[in-house]
Amino acid sequence: MNGVRVGNRIIGAQSPVTVGWENIPRVEGGPVKQFVFTWFQPAVLFALVAFWYYAPNSIAKASTAIGIGIGLKVLLLALEWVNPRFKSWQLTWKEAAIDLFYVGLGFTILRLIEGYIGDGVMIEGIQNAFDWEKLAWFTTLPLLVQAVLISVIFDFGQYWMHRGMHNWHPLWLTHAPHHYITQLNINKGAVGNPIELFLIGLGIGGFFDFLPRAALLAGTFGMAVSTYQHINVRFNTPRWWRFLFNTTEHHSVHHSQDYEASRSNYSGTWIIIDRMFGTCVDGEAELLGMEGGRKMSIRETMTFPFTEGWKSLKEKFGRDRYGQAMPGPIAAEWPAE
Amino acid sequence: MNGRLIDWIWTIRGSVELPPEQSREDAFDRLDPLFHESGTSRDRTGDALTFDKKDQAAQDKMSIFDSGVLWIEQGTAGGMLHYRLTSRALLFCFLAPLLFLAFAGLTIAVGKIDKPAAETAAKKPEKKDVIRELNPVDKFLGAPAPEKPKKDDKTKDKDEGPSPISAYVFAALFAVLYVVGRILEDRLIRRLFRKRLRDDSSDSRQAVA
Repeated sequence: MNGVRVGNRIIGAQSPVTVGWENIPRVEGGPVKQFVFTWFQPAVLFALVAFWYYAPNSIAKASTAIGIGIGLKVLLLALEWVNPRFKSWQLTWKEAAIDLFYVGLGFTILRLIEGYIGDGVMIEGIQNAFDWEKLAWFTTLPLLVQAVLISVIFDFGQYWMHRGMHNWHPLWLTHAPHHYITQLNINKGAVGNPIELFLIGLGIGGFFDFLPRAALLAGTFGMAVSTYQHINVRFNTPRWWRFLFNTTEHHSVHHSQDYEASRSNYSGTWIIIDRMFGTCVDGEAELLGMEGGRKMSIRETMTFPFTEGWKSLKEKFGRDRYGQAMPGPIAAEWPAE
Repeated sequence: MNGRLIDWIWTIRGSVELPPEQSREDAFDRLDPLFHESGTSRDRTGDALTFDKKDQAAQDKMSIFDSGVLWIEQGTAGGMLHYRLTSRALLFCFLAPLLFLAFAGLTIAVGKIDKPAAETAAKKPEKKDVIRELNPVDKFLGAPAPEKPKKDDKTKDKDEGPSPISAYVFAALFAVLYVVGRILEDRLIRRLFRKRLRDDSSDSRQAVA
């Protein structure tokens, strides 16, 4: 495999990656199917933005957002069956059950823990300690400006946290299990070690005072854009959308078995942040995962940061029984970032 | 205690009739590609084939099974393939509702322990609520104006503590998922074996890609 030069990097030398939008297959089928799978993503985004913008206060609540989120995911699961991107990513009963387990952890025990040690608590602590007022001027901005800023600021933080995970070994150990997924499906975003899910959820949004409606609008970007990172649906994504937003194509490159390809497309929603920092690769990949696509069990996912962390510490500081230093980190275990 | 009374939870048993004239060797040869998947080891001895799987690929058609035995019995009417397959995924899914019920219990317990602290926090003098106003652009476009926060609701939320409802929902989801999986995977594996044994196309003998 020769790979393709993108900037200073060779993409796809280790595992196949399709580089360039012009090389990505289009939706196959009649005009109705073409129309639906071209405009579905923008239509849902604009419909949700309009809904949250105009919904009466009695409806514009977090519980409504959760309901819409669940409904949208069910619809997207149906779309995975109707128009899959790759047959090799098709959802099986076992995959669905595993994914749901991680989603369940996020909605229950992790949420409970986050209520005590999450970013909200930390920010409250900082504000109380220094008697800072929230940035109240933020609420005077137009709703959509507030929403876009909240979303971009959060995603900017997420971009650097994610990039940090791919470049600093201790953080990588928490993120690596997520990279063992071998296919993209709608709930795959939840698959990973809980420490990583906690870290990636940290944000500085709590420092700002914003209107609840603006927060709901900002959440819409997460729901109607970021959700498509992990989805097995073939879309004819519009040019402007894929320039601004992260897509399943971008994220499949990020999850590729190819080392260089996986060091790209770090943002969650706004791929334009990757464009700004030179880490965007437009394309798609089918072969995903680590170690040639080895499947990681739930048990290993939960213990990986600790067991691998211990191994790394032993390799760095440990001595064998004869007093000799242990060999350095094994190259194969370093992240296919 | 008879293991069969409970091992149906994680074990799938069944049998498939061999096509007329099909020999034992031919039948196992046809099934063999199913055991060429990564992480699968198999052993054929006489009438039986045993297998073990580890870190099964997601698209392995037998990914939900971790081990099993298949054997062929010859009767007067012809051969019959019998199988007994065990699945940790099914057991895990069967037990998952208990785990989520435990999370619900934990959530309630934490809420009770944390209640005095929440009440103390609620007694702190609250800052004066500011009535927010929309930006003129939003007023022009007709977005509903924000309401003044209701103090009573705030106190109520804090007193209630974390909710166990989502844990109950996931317990129910896994109970349903288990029933679906137990029935579905039973049918799928029977269909897979039958198809393999009857399919005459050449690719049935090739390794599953």
